[in-house]
Amino acid sequence: MKTRFEREDQKEKRMKRLHENADGSLPDYSQGIHAPDHESGKSRRWYQAKVLPFVVRLILGGVFIYASVDKILHPAAFAEAVYNYKILPDALINLTTIILPWLELLLGVFLILGLWLPGAVLLSNLLLVTFFGALVFNLARGLDIHCGCFTTSQEATLDLCMCLYMIRDGIFVLLALYLFSNIFFREWQAADESPHKQRSPL
Amino acid sequence: MAETERVKRIGLRMVRQAGAIVLLAVIIGVMVNQIRSDRLPLVADWSPEARLTLESGESMVIPIEEARELCSSQSATFLDARSSELYEHGHILCARNLPWNAVDEHFDTVMADIHQDALLIVYCDGESCPESKDLALDLFYRGYENVRVLVNGWSLWVEQHLPVEKGPCQGES
Repeated sequence: MKTRFEREDQKEKRMKRLHENADGSLPDYSQGIHAPDHESGKSRRWYQAKVLPFVVRLILGGVFIYASVDKILHPAAFAEAVYNYKILPDALINLTTIILPWLELLLGVFLILGLWLPGAVLLSNLLLVTFFGALVFNLARGLDIHCGCFTTSQEATLDLCMCLYMIRDGIFVLLALYLFSNIFFREWQAADESPHKQRSPL
Repeated sequence: MAETERVKRIGLRMVRQAGAIVLLAVIIGVMVNQIRSDRLPLVADWSPEARLTLESGESMVIPIEEARELCSSQSATFLDARSSELYEHGHILCARNLPWNAVDEHFDTVMADIHQDALLIVYCDGESCPESKDLALDLFYRGYENVRVLVNGWSLWVEQHLPVEKGPCQGES
């Protein structure tokens, strides 16, 4: 069993080794202990370019898949929820009920697997902005509806205030917008690096 | 100019892929709907009359004239399915408040002296407000067989200058 003193000593030695210069001399610690700038910049760029978009894709993909399951299982209850929004004409209510959950499921899978990302991200943005707009629209006209976002059961969500739905959906919209800008920038760079490269028709 | 061209190319790629995903969702959605037992018709009638028709084909809708007569003869119990706040603000004369958003909480108190054969008229506010339909069906499945829905009840009642009151029902004991 190591004493606290021994553990702290080992930690200090590890830190020393980490910041030792190639010639064995210690760097100037007068500016504080930190990794060299180019290293931290590189890891930050790597984080921004790879990790963060992937995490956001996982979150949005998970949200879409989670949101689709209950709607696919209970189409009649979801049709009621769509009807309650009072936005769509009657002729489109059932079609939306039949297609929208599968669109959400596909988007979730495509986002997580990274397939057809530009299209999936564009659609995610369109869907989330539409959902957010519908909530704001109904709140503005004083309609306290059951949103049917994640569950078709009315009892489970009746107590949740519309404002909470709006905050939650607002966060999703922001995440989707971030992903859109990231994908657009990535596509822009790809076009820059290989302007004449043959790409798939999609 | 080259930048505009590039933006256009990226945009087109996004739109093409998005279109393909939507098409895939349409194909899967329609196919799955066709083979499932609880399939929905692609286009349905969502009018209040169609929504308020029981599986037996009997309509639950009651016309305003009939409701007015039943109110004046006091031969039906009116149930306001809106929230307690809206009920307090104004309701049909002697209607009881059974808010759909807290139906289990209020059910025993409100329905204690009402027999299951009694004629009940449920209403909320708005052409397509869901509370009256949901409450009517809930009552029907609880064994109240004479339940009718006054579509767009509150607005229609006020428009026709029929008797209303504020606060709790004055006829209540």
